[in-house]
Amino acid sequence: MSSSSSTSVSMTARSARSGLIGVALAAGSLLLLSSCSVANSEPSGGSASADLVRVVLSQEPPTLEPCEANLTSTGVVVRSNITEPLVERNPTTGDLDPLLATEWEATGDTEWTFTLRDDVTFQDGTPFNAEAAAFAIDRAVNSDLGCNVEGYVFGDDDLEVTAVDETTLTVSTVTPDPILPLRLSFVEIVPTSTDTAAKVREPIGTGPYKVKQWDAGTKLTLERNDDYWGDAPAFAAAEYQWRAEGTVRAAMVTSGEADLAMGLGADDGAGDLGLDYPNNETVGLRLTAEIAPLNDIRVRQAINYAIDKQGITDSLYQGAHLPAAQLVPEGIVGHNPDLEPWEFDVAKASALVAEAKADGVPVDEKITIVARNAQFPKVSEMSQILQEQLTQAGLNVELKMVDTSQHLQYQLRPFVTNEGAIALLIQHGNQAGDAAFSVEQYMTTTGAQSVFGTPEFDTMLTDAGLLTGDERESAYQDIFEYQNEEIVQFAFIAHQTGVIGKAATVDYTPNSSSGDELRLAEITPVG
Amino acid sequence: MWTFLRRRIISSAIPLIVVIVGVFALARLTGNPASLYLPLNATEQMRADFTARNGLDDPLLVQMANYFGGVLRLDFGVSLRTGEPAGEMVLRAFPATLQLAGVTMLLAVLLAVIVGSWAALKPNGIVDRISSFASMAAASIPDFWLAIMGILVFAITLGWVPTSGVSSPTSWILPIAVLLMRPFGVLVQIVRGAMVSSLSEPYIKLARSKGASEVRVVGRHALRNAAAPALTVAGDLAVGLINGAVVVESIFGWPGIGKLMIDSILQRDFAVLQAAVLLTAVSIFALNILIDLGYALLDARVRPSAKAKKRRVSPAAATERKLNVQPTR
Repeated sequence: MSSSSSTSVSMTARSARSGLIGVALAAGSLLLLSSCSVANSEPSGGSASADLVRVVLSQEPPTLEPCEANLTSTGVVVRSNITEPLVERNPTTGDLDPLLATEWEATGDTEWTFTLRDDVTFQDGTPFNAEAAAFAIDRAVNSDLGCNVEGYVFGDDDLEVTAVDETTLTVSTVTPDPILPLRLSFVEIVPTSTDTAAKVREPIGTGPYKVKQWDAGTKLTLERNDDYWGDAPAFAAAEYQWRAEGTVRAAMVTSGEADLAMGLGADDGAGDLGLDYPNNETVGLRLTAEIAPLNDIRVRQAINYAIDKQGITDSLYQGAHLPAAQLVPEGIVGHNPDLEPWEFDVAKASALVAEAKADGVPVDEKITIVARNAQFPKVSEMSQILQEQLTQAGLNVELKMVDTSQHLQYQLRPFVTNEGAIALLIQHGNQAGDAAFSVEQYMTTTGAQSVFGTPEFDTMLTDAGLLTGDERESAYQDIFEYQNEEIVQFAFIAHQTGVIGKAATVDYTPNSSSGDELRLAEITPVG
Repeated sequence: MWTFLRRRIISSAIPLIVVIVGVFALARLTGNPASLYLPLNATEQMRADFTARNGLDDPLLVQMANYFGGVLRLDFGVSLRTGEPAGEMVLRAFPATLQLAGVTMLLAVLLAVIVGSWAALKPNGIVDRISSFASMAAASIPDFWLAIMGILVFAITLGWVPTSGVSSPTSWILPIAVLLMRPFGVLVQIVRGAMVSSLSEPYIKLARSKGASEVRVVGRHALRNAAAPALTVAGDLAVGLINGAVVVESIFGWPGIGKLMIDSILQRDFAVLQAAVLLTAVSIFALNILIDLGYALLDARVRPSAKAKKRRVSPAAATERKLNVQPTR
């Protein structure tokens, strides 16, 4: 017994030794693996030089497919860097500037003619011409690829695109479309060799930069296109990394690991390196105006009076945001500069609620504020303030915080209908520059995100869409005034401001499009 | 040995299938991805086209049959978000997580064994008190806070390490240090407890009376017998890390599977989610088998020999029993 027991012990000891050696070997190989596979990218180097500009984004671009470039995460890298559209909207003036097209004009009720540049080649060496432009528009708008830009700026109707000669292109619509050139500014032009059966991840374009290398999950590098038709950009290459946390993005700029950090919040810690810019996003409550007690306009007006817009922007956003009176901020065609935000007057709000109650409106019925977690910085704090302020006005208000997919059920048709009156906290960004993109969605009776409308208002909206120039601007201004006076589907809160972190090593002035389209050519080294 | 492995693989296959079916069904309960992938103003027609194009309009059973057919051919489908094959995305992310988890666990175990054993030598002594406090703190501090503070102090203020990323070997320091804390804290307490009990056993007194050195007494005799509970807990902690250190991966921009899984859940990217869950489930089953083999290395009585088979003693049950059995020396 004792001899067998000692044999067993010594065998166990041997096994344990060989086990330990195995563990040590495994650990050694793990360490070796770790040093060669994840950390395989070279250090990014120190500060910015004219060789490299380093940008940190909030997420990795899911794809660089140009027909998805209206998505912020893709467009911020692709648009006007790798690929270019025929015309582009100047974010400062709001005008359309020529890019691959030099001129354009309406040549019929439903037809536009574009004159194209003749000195442009794609990054693969093939020439840019009307055929390529027609191909790219056709691929983005008329194909079965399911391009995001198709749903974003064009409806179900196809466009008829014809290459008349090398530098002349006509585009026809089914119904008259006075803002077709603006819509086409979202279509990035790709060569005819681009896949039409599937989306591409790394496109070829005419832009000042081309894709050099994409280490998925880690970083994306672009290099200067030496055959670019326009002025050569200052930096020879651009490197994108991505970090989900705003604090980390800000830290990368303050520690010198990045030159620009996108999508920061006011308290992410960028300090003096943070640049504020208006990002065209507007926040407000959308009210289900056909469900009691919100079906009485006095209750909806009371909500507008009850919200302390200035207080919210001052206390939560250090005054960087602006109290809002309408769905679109300054700089968008149709913005009404004469509209003042509803004054903050709790007494007036309470009086309106009391008046409605006296007329038999069931003001005690529950109103649910529905807001989306993490939709924008301090969204839960803002929601709680709104709940409190509406309660102060004498309303019975509950708060419901939901995630994105649940929020969409409230935001988009078919809406949730069995939860009584709902005040949905919306954040709307108009990146196209024309009020039509906002009101079609949010204000027409059947709009995908509109819960209320009237036939008269619908007529105003349809008519405005057909106008051009000053008439168009003034028609939309009237629409925003009419919504505040007669419709009151919304209680607008604030026009938001974005923050970009910028290291002292580079020069860059952000504009309202920076978050969606960061033009690398506008970034220059200091000194 | 082979019988043991075969039995474990067969018994692991059933929960694996349950996990795959469960994830498949639960993912689809979250709703149609069309509303997340198409612009808010997309028309009904566009939504219908999207659903049809991605096979989401087929009956659920047909979708599941297609999925299982694909898995058998190692085709996990295409990501809705990136358009890449889901299998490739997951295989690309998994090594990053595995390396992070591997190095972290290795360091956590080594440090915990050293600190835990040292503390156990003199229960309630100064080392024991300090290590108790430190390990409790390490196990309790939220990793989110620790990560941000680590960046502020060591990357920004002191400038010793990069804030994040995988651009240089020093980038590993912060993520590993943050990730290490919890396993280290928990394991120190386990090792210490087991060692205190081991060191009071008669066979330790015997070893000492034979004149064995303190290193031999602690390292050879006591630690061997204290290792089993530590291995059980370390296995559980390692499983947590293989599942993806979501917070640490997100904060430090680590291209691992945890971040990939969270992104695919939020974006209803079913193909990637299913592939990621399948791979981690398989890895966790593999890890469990390794842990069982580890028990066998530590203790002959739980070795899956013909004798054990005859007695129908499962390794786990034997391990539990072992904790109450005095080793014979």
